[in-house]
Amino acid sequence: MVSPDIKKFDTLVVGGGIAGLQAALDLGDQGYTVAVVEKDASIGGKMIRLSKVFPTLDCASCITTPKMSAAAHHENITLFTYCDLVSLDTDESANGSGINCRIIQRPRYVDPVKCIGCRQCEYICPVHVPDMEQGGLSAKRAISIPFSNAIPQLPILDIEHCMLCGQCEKVCPTNAIDYFQQPEDMMLSANTAIVTTGFELLPVKTFVQYGNGSIPNVVDALQMERLLAPHGPYNRVIRPSDGMEPDSIAYVQCAGSRDKSHGVPYCSRVCCMYAIKQAMLLSGSLPLADITIYYMDIRAFGKGYEQFYQNAKAMGIEFVKAKVARIDQGDNGSATVRYERQDGSGTASQDHDLVVLSMGVVPGWNPEPICAVSKSTDHFITSIKPKISPVLTSINGVFVAGAAAGPKDIVDTITESGSAAMEAAKFMSNSPRGN
Amino acid sequence: METMDTDKAAKKAAMKDLRAQRKDLIEAASLQMKKQKKDIKAIEAFLTGRAATIPDIAQGIGLPTDKTLWYIASLKKYGRIVEGSKAGAFFNYALNEPANNTEQEEV
Repeated sequence: MVSPDIKKFDTLVVGGGIAGLQAALDLGDQGYTVAVVEKDASIGGKMIRLSKVFPTLDCASCITTPKMSAAAHHENITLFTYCDLVSLDTDESANGSGINCRIIQRPRYVDPVKCIGCRQCEYICPVHVPDMEQGGLSAKRAISIPFSNAIPQLPILDIEHCMLCGQCEKVCPTNAIDYFQQPEDMMLSANTAIVTTGFELLPVKTFVQYGNGSIPNVVDALQMERLLAPHGPYNRVIRPSDGMEPDSIAYVQCAGSRDKSHGVPYCSRVCCMYAIKQAMLLSGSLPLADITIYYMDIRAFGKGYEQFYQNAKAMGIEFVKAKVARIDQGDNGSATVRYERQDGSGTASQDHDLVVLSMGVVPGWNPEPICAVSKSTDHFITSIKPKISPVLTSINGVFVAGAAAGPKDIVDTITESGSAAMEAAKFMSNSPRGN
Repeated sequence: METMDTDKAAKKAAMKDLRAQRKDLIEAASLQMKKQKKDIKAIEAFLTGRAATIPDIAQGIGLPTDKTLWYIASLKKYGRIVEGSKAGAFFNYALNEPANNTEQEEV
């Protein structure tokens, strides 16, 4: 096997979400060359999939898309999307470049040079598959561009659902379809690395008390983000089970968070605020709907957050201080929420048309065995100086930013990314391997 | 000309090999596609000349309501179906007529 050529950069950014893009742009603007390695088919991370952001209720896409576009067109930034990180090693020798990494480019079955993103292949494809970009709530074609403002605008052929009927190949005006595409091995080297691998939500399927994902109309918060988004699966908020406009919507807070039995003893930090944000957006789009938030504590910690919470209460959103014990399937597609009030007045139950679970936040990536960076007991990446420089990791020249280091909101994520970029630039200017 | 024919023949042989390698996946995808085609045809037939809600369509064609909505959402995305007026707590859906074969995603 021939060794792949090594592509050299100043900094390797692992993860192309808002944290990674911000760090890459900050370094790129200073003249450093940056490689962004992203596992998904598009950059943008979780933020590009959100409807709006708290507490300003700005459009998430309107903030993220310009950054995605700026990164994609930046002369110092190279994007490696749809790639798996296989190894990330440090080389401390005098001649070593610092960070060596191996990535595998998964096949899209589309030639990225020839493809013009016209979507003719998508329109002609006869196979419908669940669209996970829309939380699985609607369908897309077996060959499709992930979402309308994805970067790069390249379709992915889902080989598991392809009949090899050849229709996409026939209709493609640039002969870009390549059924024989193979994974491509690539080696990258850099002086520094910034890990911005973000977060995932705990899967509903692991919660027997919430029906293991089998109760219709019990969705997680990211699915609700899609329901609220203008380019969502239905372009409006309706129940996934039957298309009914819900009259009564409930939020279950701390679903998995602050719960040792699910390995998430910590507070996920953002759930209170995004639940309040979604409730406010819902009361805008469904003014007659009753919205209830079942919570243990409301943690409105950031600037303007407490006012945001007070505004939500003033809008008529009901906050019930209670711990939800279980959810059962009710009549006519409803879900019955059974809860214990925390004022000592006992248990109660209430039917809702739609229930949203604010699931616990867990790390998006396990560095083992790819990278020897140390993790904390909560499995997020540890900082060696959490008070004075929270972006420093246990490996010299490897930095961390955003939710890879622990649950945090977008404001803190962007601030931390700027800090990581600054630390990386400082490291490169002080280190022999940076000169 | 001869080179072109050779290339064509080589591609044909390679595709044959690929189809053999992916036989199981292709069979499963074909079955899935046939079922989907039948369901979509039933939805389109039901909606010919009328608008209906998800429960009405589901009842009319014998599909579960969630699966019906799944199809309707996709057909709406690719411009085959449009959302109409509200009927109680539900929305009506109708065919996007005149039938347009060059599908365009709604923006």
